Amino acid sequence: MRIVVKRIMGVTALACAGLLTATACSGGSGSGGSGNGPVTVTVMTWESADTNAAIKKALADFKDDNIKVDLLESPSGQYGDKLASLTQAKKLPDLFWCGNDTEQQYTSQGLLVDWADKIKNGDGDFNADKFVPSAMDNWKTADGQMGGLPSLMNTYGVWYNADAFTAAGLPLPKAGWTWDEMYADAAKLANKNGAKYGLVADQLTSADGPFTMSMYSVSAGGAPFTDNVNHPTKAEADDKYTEGVTKLAAAIKNGSVAPPGYDASNVQSLFAAGKVPMTFGGQWLAAGFQTDKPKIKYGFAPFPQVQTPTTLYDSVGICTPQYTKDQDATFKVLEYINTKVWDAVLPASPVAPPAYTPAQASYFDALTKAQQSTVVDTVKADLAAEKTVGVRFTTQWASQVGDLTTANYQPILSGKKPITDLPAYIDKINGLIKQGS
Amino acid sequence: MSRNAGSDVKAAYLFIAPAVIGFGVFVGYPLIRSFYLALTKYNGLTDPVFVGLGNFRRLFTTDPAFWPALRATGYLVLLYVPLSLVLGLALAMFCNQRFAGVRVVRTLAYLPVVLPAVATITLWKFMLDPQVGLLNTILDRLGLPTSLWLQSPKMAMPSVVLVMLWGVGGTMIIFLAALQSVPTELYEAAKVDGAGPWSMFFRITMPMISPIMLLQVILQTTAALQTFNQPKILTNGGPGFSTNVLMLSIYNNGFPTLGRIPQLGYASAQVWVLFVIIIAVIALTAKFSSLWTYSDNN
Repeated sequence: MRIVVKRIMGVTALACAGLLTATACSGGSGSGGSGNGPVTVTVMTWESADTNAAIKKALADFKDDNIKVDLLESPSGQYGDKLASLTQAKKLPDLFWCGNDTEQQYTSQGLLVDWADKIKNGDGDFNADKFVPSAMDNWKTADGQMGGLPSLMNTYGVWYNADAFTAAGLPLPKAGWTWDEMYADAAKLANKNGAKYGLVADQLTSADGPFTMSMYSVSAGGAPFTDNVNHPTKAEADDKYTEGVTKLAAAIKNGSVAPPGYDASNVQSLFAAGKVPMTFGGQWLAAGFQTDKPKIKYGFAPFPQVQTPTTLYDSVGICTPQYTKDQDATFKVLEYINTKVWDAVLPASPVAPPAYTPAQASYFDALTKAQQSTVVDTVKADLAAEKTVGVRFTTQWASQVGDLTTANYQPILSGKKPITDLPAYIDKINGLIKQGS
Repeated sequence: MSRNAGSDVKAAYLFIAPAVIGFGVFVGYPLIRSFYLALTKYNGLTDPVFVGLGNFRRLFTTDPAFWPALRATGYLVLLYVPLSLVLGLALAMFCNQRFAGVRVVRTLAYLPVVLPAVATITLWKFMLDPQVGLLNTILDRLGLPTSLWLQSPKMAMPSVVLVMLWGVGGTMIIFLAALQSVPTELYEAAKVDGAGPWSMFFRITMPMISPIMLLQVILQTTAALQTFNQPKILTNGGPGFSTNVLMLSIYNNGFPTLGRIPQLGYASAQVWVLFVIIIAVIALTAKFSSLWTYSDNN
């Protein structure tokens, strides 16, 4: 018996030792390498398998005897969960795709490498001057740190079914059209040819809807919903803003616009099938439409305006954890991605214009070649727009604002609460801002 | 104690050690840790900061999502538990009959339980789509009014419950086992006494399977209180807070969408509130079970 027990204990100890060894050796940022070997820089994206394959192919051309680049094979779904668990385990890759809000939050927590000086005093063409200025401004924290660099710009507008507009005898949406015209068009297109609503605008009705509504008030010369998404001092709903909310609530009430709660996850397919005549969306849909040809003739127009062209502002980028093993090697790969990789990836999949302006040509060339001229025009107009508004708070308490929006703002849009409840909702957000600061 | 007895005791400890260690590592420690985190402000990125009962105070006083989450959870339990018990028992009684092909019927009734939950829920989401879904297409063809289903604040929760009932085969199997354990001589004696089907159901079947019914009430209530997959996949809590049940709220606070910082301390506080609710519901159900369950002692 005693021998058996000893054997069991021995085997268990060996198994435990094996497990511990395996755990100690596995995963992680994986940077570094042996004392003499090349440094490995790991990269993680949220892209599709096809785009990742194109990125991997492009990264294979990165030549540096001292650096090896490893693109982590990772399914694109649930990127947020993946990032959260890797962050908590302190196993983030050396370079990972991140949103502006993630970069702001992680940088303020001291989790990311600060590239501000490096990009400001960059060698040759790779320096701050060559990036879209507004993107660089937004990627800086209050104290001037940059935990990553913007890589691609997201621009937004209105995708429209040109066939449905023509059939209804309506002029096609184009730069300079107004919010009133958009709602009038939506009313005429609703309940026709299998389309229930004339306009599906998740950006206007979701938890981030109050920010999108800023486009109306700012365009009309009023105040935005908040003065700053990164470091807000106040939220506001002035007369112009209230006017915009009132018009949207009326359009939802008469059935022209899809109400809050409408499941917009399938809207791209519905639009392509001709069942959604107009939808708010990003330029990235163009890449999908290029491969899965919609049945309809479609176009992409800038957002409507009241007086001044105004658009949403959003950029994504690449971040680096503070514990990356070799910052110089990581920055070299970061530079290579921003300057070279997009030229190889975007012609096949034109998802977004690069924030690094010299790399933008390949994106616009690809769209022009694919005869997506309305997308080219709208993206260019958006990038040049004088007035932009943020898409959501990047603060720690942003999710609490989301709950307040669900409980207060969305019922106002649905007509379940009166428009006069808007100031109370704003007061609650200002309470959070006060607490947060 | 003899020498051999001492060895046996050691061996016994050794054999139960994996279970005890497993429980300690995977249940005991997380339980203690989550209680500690419930008393802290913790985002998973930086060290926890002790805030005492601050998370609980925020839950009950200022969080606009908490009370709607409790209401949604209560509504789901009240809707789902009775329906699953009635439907499960009805299906079990049907499958307890003797007819050709009964085994096939039993298999078909249980089949949804073994199918991957995410796949079936996703299929239901397509079927419940108001524009292109199968349900509305059928209703439309029949000239009946259609519904927004998951996109209507009123219909969203009943639609979620409908999808949950798709897995009622699990309840059916347990009831079927209970029905088959009822002594047939009781029915034979009742028949001799002139009892009808309803009388036999209420005076023999129900009392005899009442201990299993109690088990099912507890199991189904506990499961309903912890519902996550269906509302996550079908509605993600919407429209508004109509299907934002407590488990979903906990998940969204602990693992928020990309770009938002996790509130793991706050989510842990919610977990403990849910834990207390589950314990309270089970305790109440057990306490009053003697009023309606049959045992040899009463």
